[in-house]
Amino acid sequence: MTRRSIEIGMAVSAATFLISVPWLIPALTDNFWVSVITEILIWSLFAASANLLFGYVGLLSFGQALYFGFGMYGVALGIDHLGLSFWPAFGLGIVSAIAMALVSGVFAVRLSWHYFAIITVVFSLIFYFLAVSMKPLTGGDDGINFSLPPVFRFGGSIWSLTDPTFQYFFVLAVVSLCFFLMYRVINSPLGKGFLAIRDNDLRASLIGLNVYVLRLIAFVMAGFLAGVSGALFAFFGRYASASYMFYQVSGEAVVWTIVGGAGTMFGPLVGTTLFIVIREIVSSHWEHHSLIVGLLAILAVIFAPKGIVGLWNGWMTRLGERDAASAPPRLTLQAEP
Amino acid sequence: MLSLRDVHVHIGKLHILQGVNLEVRPGESAALLGRNGVGKTTTLRAIMGLVSKSSGAIRFDEFDLSNYPAHKIPGKGIGYVPQGRGIFPNLSVLENLNIGVTGKRDTEREDYVFTCFPRLKERLKQAGNTLSGGEQQMLAIARCLMMRPKLIILDEPTEGIMPRLVSQIRREIYRIGQSGVSILLVEQNVETALKLCPNVFLMEKGAIVYSGAAHDLKGQPEIVRRYLGLSQ
Repeated sequence: MTRRSIEIGMAVSAATFLISVPWLIPALTDNFWVSVITEILIWSLFAASANLLFGYVGLLSFGQALYFGFGMYGVALGIDHLGLSFWPAFGLGIVSAIAMALVSGVFAVRLSWHYFAIITVVFSLIFYFLAVSMKPLTGGDDGINFSLPPVFRFGGSIWSLTDPTFQYFFVLAVVSLCFFLMYRVINSPLGKGFLAIRDNDLRASLIGLNVYVLRLIAFVMAGFLAGVSGALFAFFGRYASASYMFYQVSGEAVVWTIVGGAGTMFGPLVGTTLFIVIREIVSSHWEHHSLIVGLLAILAVIFAPKGIVGLWNGWMTRLGERDAASAPPRLTLQAEP
Repeated sequence: MLSLRDVHVHIGKLHILQGVNLEVRPGESAALLGRNGVGKTTTLRAIMGLVSKSSGAIRFDEFDLSNYPAHKIPGKGIGYVPQGRGIFPNLSVLENLNIGVTGKRDTEREDYVFTCFPRLKERLKQAGNTLSGGEQQMLAIARCLMMRPKLIILDEPTEGIMPRLVSQIRREIYRIGQSGVSILLVEQNVETALKLCPNVFLMEKGAIVYSGAAHDLKGQPEIVRRYLGLSQ
């Protein structure tokens, strides 16, 4: 089996599985798992925002929960306080997260390494405590609940996220679109600039790349991804809570990214899937399931520093080299002298 | 073209550059020589805006480089190949070449750098960190050429390179100089520097102590011995 055939097989299997989830999962097990997979998709987008910064630009952020929270509250306050319909509320959540990322990014991306990590935590904590203290507006830790407005109305028919199948496909479409956008950016000259900064920011500036501006663009883009995931999670749970703005939530995204594979497109999806499935299976039997998370993170850092996807890519590269070595030599025609 | 006038640089309490005066004219190749630790690399870093000068003036064409942050200096026409090559290890050869090019891909310029360094064309999709040391150095110089610089600053370009590739790199540096691009070369190998560059600056304790033609320096063994620790 060649590398190419394995990769095509994996992609087709994953796509078939994701499209058939609403019918396949109830046939095999409980409906509850459709909801878990929806949640995995949302959180993997959140982890992708941490991955964009850490894996592609080299900035370790422990503050992505702030933009997740702004996405959540944009939706919740938009619907509950401002009486907005679905799409304006969704837009408000995303724009709020982008605006917050821009404001905090202007200060944060001047720093790097641990200073950057610390300032992201500080921003996250400031707004977490503000959200907790402004209980009449935000509901604090208890959060605010809202009723879902319909997504579309066509004549007499109403499409709403209250339908679990529609909700799943809506989340799948939005998350896929965001991953596609991220893929396009990473493979564009802008993305190569991100990678150059991650490899060596000094060298990058010596060839004319404005490190500050590129980092700010990446930071705002990561804020966008976190904001979209926060907005989706608000629709998914029909509520928003300040507890999701705590830096521990950001830390989880970093762990999922590292275990899945930082700097790879699907590492966050793999890491998030692994940890949420473990949480769902183990937590009903053992309350200390976080110990497994910690143990896996340690093992991943020691034995798979590039994460599960990095390990997989290594195998695929070796397989590709083996394919190339075993390929028959190319025949060339030589002219008669 | 490039002129440094009485440039002083302090790093912490250390007075590293103590009044450097240096000039590279258009189309001229100049070597900056001196023992280890005399301030050669700091001089280059000051030109590129990587260290702040305490006083003095650094001008390139009509620009006062003190007014520009490091990332804007390459846009003024100065290419810098730092010591230790400075390629991006996780980008491919082609990506490394184009990373500093703004706007659309400059295939005409790519063809030019491939005529200088044909080995790179054979390795377009290879990641930078899979190249040999000599190939990485070629890539660093080629990347610099992609930005069509008026002046190239090279910091020890043949250090730690396989001898077989050193001669090719030297030959290309000479050809770059012949094509009208100015060169400021820092090189430990004095013989190489004197062959490639008609003009020489000698540094000692953070200042230029000798400037003149390379062939004149060859006739002054006392100066070579005193400032470079070499006997001819």
